[in-house]
Amino acid sequence: MSWRRLVSMGLSYAALLLLAFLFVSPILLMLTGSMKADARVLVEAGSFRAFLPLDVDLQNYRDVFARVDFGRYLFNSLYITGMVVLAGLVVNSLAGYAFARLAWRGRRVLFGLVLAILILPLEAIAVPLFYQVTLFGWRDTYLVQIVPFIANAFSIYLFYTFFLGLPRELEEAARLDGAGVLRTFIAIIVPNSKPVFATVAILSFLSQWGVFLWPLMVTSGEAVRPLPLAIATFYTLPPLQWGDIFAFGVMMVLPILLVFLFFQRWFIRGVVATGIKG
Amino acid sequence: MLFALPALAGLLMFVAIPFLLAIGLAFTNLRLGSPLPLEFVGLTQFLRLFADDAFARALLNNLLFTLVVVPVQTLLALALALLLNQPLKGRALFRTLFFMPVVFPLALVSVVWILIYAPGPNGMLNSFLQLITLGEWQPRDFLHDPWLALPAIMLTSIWQGAGFQMVILLAGLQSIPEELYEAARIDGAGRWQRFWYITLPQLRNTLVFVMLVTTILAFRLFEQVQIMTRGGPRHATTTIMYEAVQAAFSRQQVARGAAITVIFFLLVLLVTLLQRRIAREERL
Amino acid sequence: MRTFLFILVCLFLTACDRGKPPPSATGVVRLSLWAHAGQASERQTMERQVQAFNQQHSDVQIALTFIPERSYNAQVQAAAIAGELPDLLEFDVPYLYNYVWQGHLQPLETLLPHELQQDLLPSLIRQGTYQGHLYGVGTFDSGLALYARRSMLQKVNARIPGHPKQAWSVQEFERLLERLALTDDDGAVLDLKLNYPDEWFSYGFSPLLQSAGGDLIDRSDYQRASGVLNGAASVMAMQHVQNWLMQGRVDPNVDDAAFVGGRVALSWAGHWEYRRYHEAFAEDLVLVPLPDFGKGSRTGQGSWVWGISRRAKAPAKAAEVITYLLQPAQILAMTAANGAVPATHTAIAQSPLYHEGGPLHLFVVQLAEGYAVPRPRTPAYPVISASFRQAFADIRNGMPVQQALDRAAATIDEDIRDNRGYPAIAAQ
Repeated sequence: MSWRRLVSMGLSYAALLLLAFLFVSPILLMLTGSMKADARVLVEAGSFRAFLPLDVDLQNYRDVFARVDFGRYLFNSLYITGMVVLAGLVVNSLAGYAFARLAWRGRRVLFGLVLAILILPLEAIAVPLFYQVTLFGWRDTYLVQIVPFIANAFSIYLFYTFFLGLPRELEEAARLDGAGVLRTFIAIIVPNSKPVFATVAILSFLSQWGVFLWPLMVTSGEAVRPLPLAIATFYTLPPLQWGDIFAFGVMMVLPILLVFLFFQRWFIRGVVATGIKG
Repeated sequence: MLFALPALAGLLMFVAIPFLLAIGLAFTNLRLGSPLPLEFVGLTQFLRLFADDAFARALLNNLLFTLVVVPVQTLLALALALLLNQPLKGRALFRTLFFMPVVFPLALVSVVWILIYAPGPNGMLNSFLQLITLGEWQPRDFLHDPWLALPAIMLTSIWQGAGFQMVILLAGLQSIPEELYEAARIDGAGRWQRFWYITLPQLRNTLVFVMLVTTILAFRLFEQVQIMTRGGPRHATTTIMYEAVQAAFSRQQVARGAAITVIFFLLVLLVTLLQRRIAREERL
Repeated sequence: MRTFLFILVCLFLTACDRGKPPPSATGVVRLSLWAHAGQASERQTMERQVQAFNQQHSDVQIALTFIPERSYNAQVQAAAIAGELPDLLEFDVPYLYNYVWQGHLQPLETLLPHELQQDLLPSLIRQGTYQGHLYGVGTFDSGLALYARRSMLQKVNARIPGHPKQAWSVQEFERLLERLALTDDDGAVLDLKLNYPDEWFSYGFSPLLQSAGGDLIDRSDYQRASGVLNGAASVMAMQHVQNWLMQGRVDPNVDDAAFVGGRVALSWAGHWEYRRYHEAFAEDLVLVPLPDFGKGSRTGQGSWVWGISRRAKAPAKAAEVITYLLQPAQILAMTAANGAVPATHTAIAQSPLYHEGGPLHLFVVQLAEGYAVPRPRTPAYPVISASFRQAFADIRNGMPVQQALDRAAATIDEDIRDNRGYPAIAAQ
């Protein structure tokens, strides 16, 4: 190995380590803070103690369980997110396929509209949507937190670009064997598209897990509320118990982190193989 | 068509119709729960918005935020991706670390960063800056400083979003055929030349995609503001979406919120169309 | 794929099942009740009270739901639109007028026992009455004052006022701040609870306007804020506050530990801080009235109250619940949990903290002798509060006081005009 190369590698590692520290320190702050007495979290935020759990104390975690029905919130979040993700995979992949590979009237216009819809965040349409679901009598249910979010323009777009890139020969072979469109889709397209399914699953999981405004508007009480609303219980009443908030935060992130670590390989491969890169 | 039907029905039902409703409401005086009769008020809501300096500030802030965050975040992500695109040990670990913030819900990220920006010498960022400036730094109250509040929110957003872009750019980098580089090396091209003449052009579509998505997200900026600064100080961090939610929820002025929504949609549509056009022209 | 779809459908069907309550036994009235989530101790007390009530009454059963306070009003509005308001609900009293205007509440004066209404603190009746009817009563009221450490005040030879009559004048208060600042490391000696959210600013600082002779709105007919909120008196009062902030006398209190951590000598706060402060400083802790800006010391009042929604099926039964919660023992249980001022004279006399001579009796004096000012009794209050809060934030960040208050007054006036002066149409 040449000197030049060695130096360049050393520099790369130095840069990576520095950046990694900057990226991870807020997370460390949270993790460490979750294991400290509430009053010490802020006082020690300015010293190296912010990152070192010198004395591990799980009291904050016990507090979280005492203050909210964590299991209930967790179940609600898992259920709602799970449903949105699973149903979304079915519905949006079908639509993406229809736009990418099937010929039908109005396809281009409708796809343009789907792209335009991509711009609209939930906050922008929350109030009219709220009136609407109230009319349906959907308030305070799981349904109201699931159904409106299944169809997703961004997911459709991702499926669309991925399917565009699949070789046509795949389908043609199946068609020659006399398989229908649905059959072709299920038997040929889906098995060849695992990366994009993984990518969409992770992305919609991420965006769904953190929802706050919508459940706040359409649910009351603990029965069907998801995790992000429980944080409101900690963040309202001074004195703020930073330790409790962080303990809650750690427990809230853990499931997503696990999901991500588990699917990471597929996800990365999905990104490599799909339209997400343009 | 049949295949697209469920998704289209969903989008129609839960996005398009509410949005059309919002367009209609923007021309009324609707207030949540008001016993007064609903009235058509023409362009009043829009005229008021354009006369309101908080809303003007919101537009400006969104613009500033986009102009800073999109290039800075993309560059940072590109740098990370380039660093990780070398044959180094521990690549997967670093990649995971950089991606971690993406996994955090924004509400939680904002709460953590409030603590980082805590004022006084005890604050994490304050003491860090004091450390690296050898005590020269005077502690500031970042989130209440008219000049620092918006940059503080930008920093938080970049921290949270860069990892996502990095993964996409990394994917883009890895799909550039190795032969191109080898051919260039044989031609005696240096590192920078290879970067300029191979990497960037090959990465072009990926970059356009990444910037487009980041732009849309930048215009949607809301949660960080809601939790960290509530639009303050003196509207220094207010955004279009924050103004919309404030109007519709805190003040129950649904019609005003709807009018903001309409302006928002038109604005972002315009920006994305412009971006696409520019991207397309450069391709020729 | 097929099994996957099957599972999906099954999961959906369970999602549609809302877990409806079992059909009620004959003759039992089921009342839904919303309470604010509050502190853990308040929640536990509320749960105990509901349980006890349910056990004592075979004909009424309460179903209790806690709602976090930060989003409480949004929840009420949402439920009202959906026609799903509970029979009995707790709410923050300044929203009362808006709810009455929207037609969500029914009058209580004929539903509650007369003697009980006589026994209530006059402040509660004042705040809960709108257009001649009583729509909400609390089991407690709130108290606002300055907490101080006796030893630190003595060190700078400060007079310690024991009654609102003897409150520090604002000049005296500012001299005191300067003397305290000399003995302090960073010169920040006052805690204004700048870390608090939302409603605190109107609650905690509008009494200053009134003490100066100003107000949030012209209370003769509640049609204008201009000339009052941005009048000379209000501007003068807020100018003082801005001076304190700009001169660095106020601790930002991000960690809410400015006072207990010993960083400041004075804390502008409510009854809810007593327990924590007393734990930290025991007998050194002293309560003094807010400074007098010219027209006598003024303070805030009002907290969470109970109301009966218009759609309640059995208002008499719902009133029974309120009556139960207003029994001295129940009042004392709740106020022991949250530290608030007990709602009735009977309960006050039995309260270890609030009885005559008790450490928090000042709060009772303020509420009973007219030093406490109810927040404006108008459906426009949410806008008034939001505008004043914005003005306070602007003033904190250096905007000229007159400009900030002009803007707030204009916003409020516009809102009142938009709602045609909030005519009484929904009521009755």
